[in-house]
Amino acid sequence: MTKRIRSQIARGSGELAILSLLAERPLYGFEIAKQIGERTGGALKFTLASLYPLLYDMEKRGWLEAHWQANDAGRDRRYYKLTIAGRRQLAPLRQEWRSFFHALDALAGVSHA
Amino acid sequence: MPDWKRVVSTHLGLKTIHEEEVRELAAHLEENYEEHCSRGLTEATAFAETLQEFEDCDVLVKAIREKSREEVMNYRTRSLWIPAMITLLGASLSLMILQKTGFRPNLIWKGPIAVLFYVPWLASLPLVGAAGAYLAQRAHAPISRRMLVATSPALLLLIIMSIILPLDMIVDGFWWFRLVYFTVAVVNWVVVPGLALLLGVAPFLRRASQPIILNEA
Repeated sequence: MTKRIRSQIARGSGELAILSLLAERPLYGFEIAKQIGERTGGALKFTLASLYPLLYDMEKRGWLEAHWQANDAGRDRRYYKLTIAGRRQLAPLRQEWRSFFHALDALAGVSHA
Repeated sequence: MPDWKRVVSTHLGLKTIHEEEVRELAAHLEENYEEHCSRGLTEATAFAETLQEFEDCDVLVKAIREKSREEVMNYRTRSLWIPAMITLLGASLSLMILQKTGFRPNLIWKGPIAVLFYVPWLASLPLVGAAGAYLAQRAHAPISRRMLVATSPALLLLIIMSIILPLDMIVDGFWWFRLVYFTVAVVNWVVVPGLALLLGVAPFLRRASQPIILNEA
């Protein structure tokens, strides 16, 4: 697998993870990274350097919008919220990944590995 | 507690123009550090662990620079180019409408050069200037930019006339009278309309109600 394909898969999975989380409620960067790590048992891990380029790009594409708001501890954080365009992306993205895993499973039997 | 904003700026080589991103990333590092500390790590180890977040940060730096560049461009478009275009359009349309409806220029002085003032047009210019200044103010433009937007039709005329004069002299040769004519034309079409346009800025000379986060420096 080339580095390019590897990075595209990482990027695609990151987008799906972020969109899925934000579909539940608005979150700020640290919370997004933390929840992705916790919910995937550490299989998906975002650092500052890998998370924010994705967030900024998704914001630029109009999938997310951000605003400053105080968190539970009263500290100002930049919360990301899913836009209507972002919500529309979620279903096709999920379908794309489902097809990808089916294809990979048919080829390599990954679900039985 | 480390100064996280400083840590981010230093590690990523960011300037004041990236203030919002620095603030956001600093907040992220702060929580990361606190979490490490709450797990029982010493401050030094927690700090070192937190710095691991910067690994492979080239893409992040590129993304921040691109984001800031676009924001500056958007801000400039909203606070300068669009209001200036509308002001220009307003000044041109008002002149065109007045000419079509039969208003004639008023002859102020007739000597070797006739000095004409388009009084109804000049009277409409404060409104046009006010519209431009309002749009610029709404986009959080500083006062100097609001004035620039409002006077843009006069400034454009000055630029056009400054290009035409030397071209004219190259084609027809130098002639003192042409300079006098140019000066009168500048007063007629730049200075007086410019002042009329500036009158419209007066209600919009208050400082921006919200601080401008972006710094175009």
